[in-house]
Amino acid sequence: MYFRRTIQFISLFIFLALLVGAIYFTTYRLGFDLFLRLDPTVIIVTIISGRSFHFSFLPAIIAILLAPLFGRVFCGYICPMGTTINICDKLFGISKNKPLIGKLHRIKYYLLSFLIGASILGVSLVFLASPIPLITRFYGLLVNPLISLFSHMGLRVIQPLSDLLFTNAPVFEGFLTPRFATQFFILLFFIGVFASSRLSRRFWCRYICPSGAIIGLFSKKPLYKRHVSKECINCGKCVSSCPMNAIRQDVPDDTFYQECIICRKCEQVCPVNAVSFSSSSTENKMKNQEILPVRREFLFAGLAGFGTASVNMTGLKSLYGKAGVGIVEPPNLLRPPGAVTEKNFLSLCVRCGECMVACPTNALQPIWIESGFSGLFSPSLVPRRGACNPDCNNCGSVCPTHAIRNLPITDRIWAKIGTAMILRQKCLAWEQQKRCMVCDEVCPYKAIEFTKEEGNKVPVPNILEERCTGCGRCEYHCPVRNQAAIIVTPLGALRIDKGSMKEQGESQGLKISIKHKEDMGSQVIEDGPPPGFDAL
Amino acid sequence: MTEKIENKIIARWLKKALNRRDFLKAHLKGALILAAGSSGILFPKMVFSETVPDIVVAKGSPVEALKAAMKLMGGMSNFVKPGNKVIIKPNMSFANKPEMATNTNPLIVKELAIMCKEAGASSILITDYTLQEPKSCLSNSGIQDACKDIAGVTVASANSDALFKETEFPNAVTMKKNSVHKDALNADVLIAAPVAKCHMATGVSLSMKGMMGLVWDRRSMHSTDLSSSIVDMCAKVLKAKLTIIDGSRVLSTNGPGGPGKVLEENTIIVSRDMVAADSYAVSAFEWYGQKLAPKQVEHIRLASERGLGRMDIENMTIKKLVI
Repeated sequence: MYFRRTIQFISLFIFLALLVGAIYFTTYRLGFDLFLRLDPTVIIVTIISGRSFHFSFLPAIIAILLAPLFGRVFCGYICPMGTTINICDKLFGISKNKPLIGKLHRIKYYLLSFLIGASILGVSLVFLASPIPLITRFYGLLVNPLISLFSHMGLRVIQPLSDLLFTNAPVFEGFLTPRFATQFFILLFFIGVFASSRLSRRFWCRYICPSGAIIGLFSKKPLYKRHVSKECINCGKCVSSCPMNAIRQDVPDDTFYQECIICRKCEQVCPVNAVSFSSSSTENKMKNQEILPVRREFLFAGLAGFGTASVNMTGLKSLYGKAGVGIVEPPNLLRPPGAVTEKNFLSLCVRCGECMVACPTNALQPIWIESGFSGLFSPSLVPRRGACNPDCNNCGSVCPTHAIRNLPITDRIWAKIGTAMILRQKCLAWEQQKRCMVCDEVCPYKAIEFTKEEGNKVPVPNILEERCTGCGRCEYHCPVRNQAAIIVTPLGALRIDKGSMKEQGESQGLKISIKHKEDMGSQVIEDGPPPGFDAL
Repeated sequence: MTEKIENKIIARWLKKALNRRDFLKAHLKGALILAAGSSGILFPKMVFSETVPDIVVAKGSPVEALKAAMKLMGGMSNFVKPGNKVIIKPNMSFANKPEMATNTNPLIVKELAIMCKEAGASSILITDYTLQEPKSCLSNSGIQDACKDIAGVTVASANSDALFKETEFPNAVTMKKNSVHKDALNADVLIAAPVAKCHMATGVSLSMKGMMGLVWDRRSMHSTDLSSSIVDMCAKVLKAKLTIIDGSRVLSTNGPGGPGKVLEENTIIVSRDMVAADSYAVSAFEWYGQKLAPKQVEHIRLASERGLGRMDIENMTIKKLVI
């Protein structure tokens, strides 16, 4: 029991440490997405919907292969969602663990079938129910900003104190408290998950979790399993103590192995020590039928998933077919740098939010239904909140399914997100003849050029499209309130599934480079005073 | 004997004038006394040229030039008293290397910090609200590295609103209030240490424009009247007690972010008057291949008109040195 708890907490700790690492660790960036790649649903659905296999998907295969040996040990020991739910059960759960009707157990299989059905048509709906992406979003997009916020507030209390105590007090700049869209959805969803503790322990794991279903399918008769000896006095203590409802009511020696997470609680509570866990192969009386999905219903659920995906394909925002005329895409939706072509992107993205958590400027945000139902919670870049750093590859390095490519450093700045566009009627220089030029000041790529317009006393900004990467720094800093006078649109975004971004960009005539010493503009101005100066 | 006493009295007046926040008033008094003194009414033996010059310009390797210039200004102890809290505002807003001349020379910032420490400063904060990613700005500018071994010196970015405090600018014309860096408000001595560079919007970015690095809401400054707001900010609240313009390299074109033409000028300009220092820098260097006058920079002109300082460099006592 303590052994399991220790493993659980170590696992949860590693999960959270990787999440923190994804945010703050900049030198070595590999493996922060390990838990996501351990999630069987994530990987199986992605393989089908994205029609791709990658060696980084192996951890989930290992998690599945563990099932025939140790059953649902992943659920009981490793899954951070399971551990979190466990903690919640401890906090809010009911003491009387009344087993619910057995048929509920099948829901998870049908849900799995539904997801797979949809994925056949290339629509990835894993975000609805896959545990690790959900728990990543819970900790990353909901808990993490709150911790930041409270730490920030705490520092505000500490700062005056330290000012009093030290002559040379350290400057606490505080934290950039991340802000995220859709966090109320996550909140409500998890209130639901945690509230189900009142119905039964591990409600989610028992009835809903599709990853539990996959592992369950492979642990029909695991090598290492529960045994009940003849000493059993049929007291039923194990039945009511089992968090997974994996022991048949009134038949305590009958175990539903697909449900058993090897927590060994039954072994602990048994008054006559009749329960043991071992790899010996004594015959089990159980017939299993009751808990396995009904084939017809399983197929029906798959069909429902297929149908949902089909309906989605008849939606206005559907990307079905070849890219070209007739495709309605959201006008200002910017994807992270290195995101593959939109259709593949939506098939691959599992909405785990890891890229958003890892984004150092908080620029990446989940969206609602701007790009249709199948685009729910996918990441978009919001320059008004934060700009994309030219030398940062955090989002690409943490993406578990390669929806955002992990680009080599030479390719990274060529991953053009879009192009900036000046709204002249809002621009201080164009419209109000005011000294501003902030867009040029902040552009790391020298993509803004100033020209003199007749009748305007100040020079006005213009975009050099071939130099612009759409990083959004201009939009972020633009002093014009609410909507900036310079905005980034997805025009010209470089989205390729494979190959070198640099080559592709160069072949399109892009001239992207970070400003460097040799890269100077005009050096001498003869007609009139230089920019910013008045005439004598 | 009498000469010594007279000099002491003058020196005391000067020090008082320098210590006072309301510099102008004191300066006026001092000027009156000085005028009286120099004209021989008060102290017949007073020699004017021995007083602190309006501007000191030193040419040579940055650190040596700065040392020599500060000596002529009466030493750092003329500005920083034992126990004082000092804030130094260099340019370190861009994640560029020193040779691009978008940030202040780290050697100069370091030497300034050492001088302040030797003068007995209790704390020295070197800070700027960076435009680019703060960590890279601090490291690429070289300023963090240069100052890391000096005890009591903090180099920090100021990119969090929590570091700023809502402040009113008395008698402001355009910007009545904004949030100003708390440590700048609490500091005994504010030292402006900008690099000499041009600026697309304001012509140049020198000591006055540089004070925007201690203000939180810069958006509103741009969307109202940038030049006038700069003057409002520097009139009282962010008026530097000492201005050191780093002209070791001058960004002559494509400022403030560069890359632009960098002139190797090896010049340090020091003054008690921000406007005077900025004015001298405008006229001393070439901008886009042109020679320009201080009044061609709107915020310098406005500052002079509103009495923040002087831009008539032709009438000032300027000490020039070559090291």
